[in-house]
Amino acid sequence: MTRRVCVAGVGLADGPKTPDLSALMLQAQAFGRAAADANMTKQEIDGLASAGYGGMHEVQLAEYLGLTPHWLDSTSCGGSSFEFHLLHAYRAIQAGDVDTVAIVYGNNEFSAAGRSLGTGRAGGGGAAAMPYPMSWELPTGLTLVGAYAMAAQRHMHQYGTTSEQLASISVQTREHAGRNPNAMYRDPITVDDVLGSRLVADPLHKLDCCVVSDGGCAIVLTTEERAKESGRPLVYVRGAAAGMTHHSIQAMPDLTVTAGAVTGPKAFTEAGISPADVDTFQMYDSFTYTVLVCLEDLGFAPKGEGGPFVASGALRLGGALPTNTDGGGLSATHPGMRGLFLMCEAVRQLRGEAGDSQVDGAEIAVAHGSGGWLSTMGTVVFGTEPA
Amino acid sequence: MSDTGVPSYLIPRVSPEAAEFFAGALRGELRIQRCPNCGLHHHYPRLACPHCGSERLEWITATGLGSLHSFTVIRQNGIPPFKEQVPFVVGLVDLDEPGARFIAQLPTVAPEDAVIGMRLRATYRPASDEVAFVDFGPDA
Repeated sequence: MTRRVCVAGVGLADGPKTPDLSALMLQAQAFGRAAADANMTKQEIDGLASAGYGGMHEVQLAEYLGLTPHWLDSTSCGGSSFEFHLLHAYRAIQAGDVDTVAIVYGNNEFSAAGRSLGTGRAGGGGAAAMPYPMSWELPTGLTLVGAYAMAAQRHMHQYGTTSEQLASISVQTREHAGRNPNAMYRDPITVDDVLGSRLVADPLHKLDCCVVSDGGCAIVLTTEERAKESGRPLVYVRGAAAGMTHHSIQAMPDLTVTAGAVTGPKAFTEAGISPADVDTFQMYDSFTYTVLVCLEDLGFAPKGEGGPFVASGALRLGGALPTNTDGGGLSATHPGMRGLFLMCEAVRQLRGEAGDSQVDGAEIAVAHGSGGWLSTMGTVVFGTEPA
Repeated sequence: MSDTGVPSYLIPRVSPEAAEFFAGALRGELRIQRCPNCGLHHHYPRLACPHCGSERLEWITATGLGSLHSFTVIRQNGIPPFKEQVPFVVGLVDLDEPGARFIAQLPTVAPEDAVIGMRLRATYRPASDEVAFVDFGPDA
């Protein structure tokens, strides 16, 4: 019988703007807080995972922290890297290869670069140094936002999805940000505010795009036995799955279907749940369209009906599927990559520690990360009880 | 850098599998790969067919015709020369040759005229002595 796996600790670094903290400082701060939350010393953590934009992220961090872990994961496939890390760590702990793994991310994205909305930076060295697939896109003037925009445009064409429906995602997420004192933007907005914000890449407006912030996050994953010793409310990993469909948007097989259509059902099956069982959903909201398409892919709404689903107010606290209860990437925190923050918020909800954004009696929470250009997807199901 | 006005950082290194494509584009031909095994085409060029995996690929000269699968209007791009060119249309073009999708700028399509399904034709824009970019415009 495989071992059960729990989250014993979560930690958030300072944010959303931390001009005096480097990326490694944010990572170390989040790590220290997660370890303290788990009532663990760093010596008890024998596995480490992290992702970033260079290489050997977790190796650098281990050295910085003074750790010598015997299990490492540097999977770096964009914003969903951390759901991949969790999947790998979950299996490794189940199998007994490692007992306790910290997954860590932090970056001073805002303070180092400012708000560019994914429209301002050429990769160092330009097209000659780009990954081969991207070297075909860069010369067209396509931006990161533009890649998502083309996918959204196709969804609108096929299913009649509207800009108003997409905007409603931003509006509901901002309501949650209003309850989070650490959110980057907290003032309420309306659908008209979103539609009145400037178009960045049609059909996506500025307020359809996530913020750029500083921040850091860490979670500590361990055995059920060890988690009980931490004294914290138990949060079980019930199921996890990860996958991909493409790297660059030109190669996305279907602009209206992500790998979430595979990872969602696979994780739900392992967890023994259906979409109707989910009490709160933490979804990587890089852009409003990311949320809409993944709501469909994971089965919360039929394909093509994500628009009416979100416009019904389903994402609100008290709605059918309270989503991004911390204010999400759209309003609260997005330090370059957000996948880890989703899982932290899911855990806080299941512990009853989500403050003014608490979903009463939450027992099942799903985190779904998206990376690249709708490229890489990872789904994790957490519960207050084991599967 | 040649005198085409294209900044060198936008010009890709010609990877071996793409040499035939760029040589064709410099002549004003759209050269793409076809897989005799599964009968499908693809773009960008690869060692093996992304549809079926066969390495027995052949080069064909495509018609240069296709339909707009989706598009966006880029209104913000911090990189020159795009910074000065906004707004402009970038699209995904389904070539008439089955299996091949092409990403391209549509410089002669005004933002308000772009519509999914519109018929397009390739045009060629030299960027250096080794590289020409393929744009698409209305097939009128």
